[in-house]
Amino acid sequence: MLSQHIGAICKPLVNKKDTVTAGQLIGNADAFVSAPIHSPVNGTVKDIALCSHPVLGRTQAIIIESSENNQPKKPCPNRFDPTFDPGPFSAQQIFDAVRKAGIVGMGGAGFPASVKLKANPQSPVTDILINGCECEPFITCDYRLMLEWTNQILVGIALISKALNCTNIYICIEDNKPDAVAIFKKAVHASAFASNMNIVTIKTKYPQGGERQLIKSVLNKEVPTGGIPPMIGVLVSNVATAAAIAEAVAGDIPLTHRVLTVSGNGVKNPGNFYAPVGIAVSELIELAGGLTDDAVKIILGGPMMGFAIADLSTPTTKTSGAITVLAEKDLPKRRETPCIRCGRCVAACPVHINPTKIAHAVKHNMLDVAQQHYMSACIECGCCSYSCPADIELTGFIKTGKILVARQKNLMPK
Amino acid sequence: MTQNIIVSPSPHINKHHSTQSIMLNVIIALTPAMIAAVIFFRLQAVYVTGTCIITCLISEWLCNCFRKQPNSLGDLSAAVTGIILAFSVPPALPIWAAVIGSAFAIIIGKMVFGGLGANIFNPAMIGRAFLTASFGMLMTTWTVPATIDKNMPVMSPANTSVMTQATPLAWSKQAIKTKDVQDESKKVKASVADGMFKNLFWGSRGGCIGETSSLALIIGGLYLIIIGTITWHVPVAVLLSAFIFSAIPYLMNDTSYASPVFHLLSGGMLIGAFFIATDPVTSPLTKKGQWIFGIGVGGLTILIRIIGEYPEGMMFSILLMNSVTPLIEKFCKVVPAGGTPNA
Repeated sequence: MLSQHIGAICKPLVNKKDTVTAGQLIGNADAFVSAPIHSPVNGTVKDIALCSHPVLGRTQAIIIESSENNQPKKPCPNRFDPTFDPGPFSAQQIFDAVRKAGIVGMGGAGFPASVKLKANPQSPVTDILINGCECEPFITCDYRLMLEWTNQILVGIALISKALNCTNIYICIEDNKPDAVAIFKKAVHASAFASNMNIVTIKTKYPQGGERQLIKSVLNKEVPTGGIPPMIGVLVSNVATAAAIAEAVAGDIPLTHRVLTVSGNGVKNPGNFYAPVGIAVSELIELAGGLTDDAVKIILGGPMMGFAIADLSTPTTKTSGAITVLAEKDLPKRRETPCIRCGRCVAACPVHINPTKIAHAVKHNMLDVAQQHYMSACIECGCCSYSCPADIELTGFIKTGKILVARQKNLMPK
Repeated sequence: MTQNIIVSPSPHINKHHSTQSIMLNVIIALTPAMIAAVIFFRLQAVYVTGTCIITCLISEWLCNCFRKQPNSLGDLSAAVTGIILAFSVPPALPIWAAVIGSAFAIIIGKMVFGGLGANIFNPAMIGRAFLTASFGMLMTTWTVPATIDKNMPVMSPANTSVMTQATPLAWSKQAIKTKDVQDESKKVKASVADGMFKNLFWGSRGGCIGETSSLALIIGGLYLIIIGTITWHVPVAVLLSAFIFSAIPYLMNDTSYASPVFHLLSGGMLIGAFFIATDPVTSPLTKKGQWIFGIGVGGLTILIRIIGEYPEGMMFSILLMNSVTPLIEKFCKVVPAGGTPNA
């Protein structure tokens, strides 16, 4: 898959029938906002063709058939000991290593991590938030990561801090994960380089893990509508991204594998898997024991924001943190009824916009009205649809509206 | 892949409630008031309420058939309209008048606008306004509660075959209207109105079917707030503003004007604050808008009660505020977190 991030799409660097080795660079782009792609396995390039993509419909991908002699990649938990010293690495070195390793925001947005690590003299980063809030139901991959790769995450954080020359660090963990909080407190206390890090326990609440919501909770600052966190001097990074940065900088290992949660009532043995990026969804489901008989919905992501997919050969990307399979009993029986203007969507909206106004404007093809009501501020968290008693797909309408506006402005194909 | 896979936009789970469950909760919350009505007005209350509910349901069904729309009786909103309308008419209202009022409420108050969610005014209040305008006498003939001793002053026994009496609000109005300062009866009248707190609270007094028992309405209202069917903003705004607006004349002249507590407990204040003004369709979406709406309802009610010609103003103030709801919405646009973008 050549588009695994926000920004310029990579060009393939290999040809059909080429032999590739694990970690080999196979896709790259020159643009600043982009991230290269590496092969996760040894094998041969079977094809370079269009492939199902959960968001973009179909996009170009390099299909690699893995060879027999593949050794599964060993994750390196806690290879970093508490005496690690980020001193020898310069900011530029860290930036280069992160760019080379193709690291993107692994919480879901897929923003190239190297871009965030480039210090901007106009608006220096004053606070770094490390996002350990997994607010969607079912997903536990970051939680396992925090428990098992604690030191690696801390090393990553130290490197981020070094690259941005910023020492106000907040590791944010939700209060339903007290063991993760405890293990981090211990690790921070024990390590020489991490003593300046604060651990913040915040309320378990959806969508706490959204960066805007997290910044509001921890720093009580609001990101301007239409803006991004660096505008107010804040960098938010996911724990998985921090761990990947540690591997990339200290170990010179590209991002080719990640931890995913495969769960839901529709799989037989739910669990967390350390899997190569690009593995087909069907293979992951097989690893989790296969689908149950009443499985009806396969979601790339969590149940609140994930994308339901129809094609099980869809590959995962660097941003795929979870596959959630819902059984028939989990699904609400939805039948849209008229809006009764109860205001539950307005009360539920974490960015304080008016979902019902926007959704109805989109429904009647009044995109200008939708934009007047700040459609673009929507973070697509799904709280409005979740709380709607009339079963209106508010989030769906708003997403549709955003796509229609993007097409009007020729920012999106089709 | 042999299994059927469903693809739909996120989120893929939702809260287990629906329009139907919201309306059902409102009906549950109105049950204490219904029980009180049966205690005070006996079978009369049952006949009128039953007629209103059945007529509302039939009217909605006929409209759906006529408009070739799917049947919408399942959302129970028509039943709620029927109950609210019945609760805001006098118990002695003839059955034929109840039928006309209910049909008008649903057909003109709701279905001509396009059904649930599209109506501008609260349908039950439209029905009641129609009845008040058309059959003024029937709408102001108050049955004496069956539990009351018949020593209460009787206003016009010759009017109808049933025993009637003035409502507490009518007494209070009478006291205000008696211009002659020398008139001893004025003090008597105000104190009669003022001295009815016990009856106002329990409900043993003249009035509309469902509005007499403050206790039953408060139980129902609190139930709705606690289970989250309504938020506290509108009821609190209505009651608070009514309290303040009625306290002003009371503090200036406590012989002519009834106390604020009296105003809160009498007439349709409580049923209006908890059940009618909170109708989501006809009240503003935002919390700020709901405050303005509630303050308007409470203030106008007191204004009508004290200065206006009618002894009770709940219905008109709700209808008036319904009509300005779009305007309130316009002024109470939500501001996104992070402020308005400079565009």
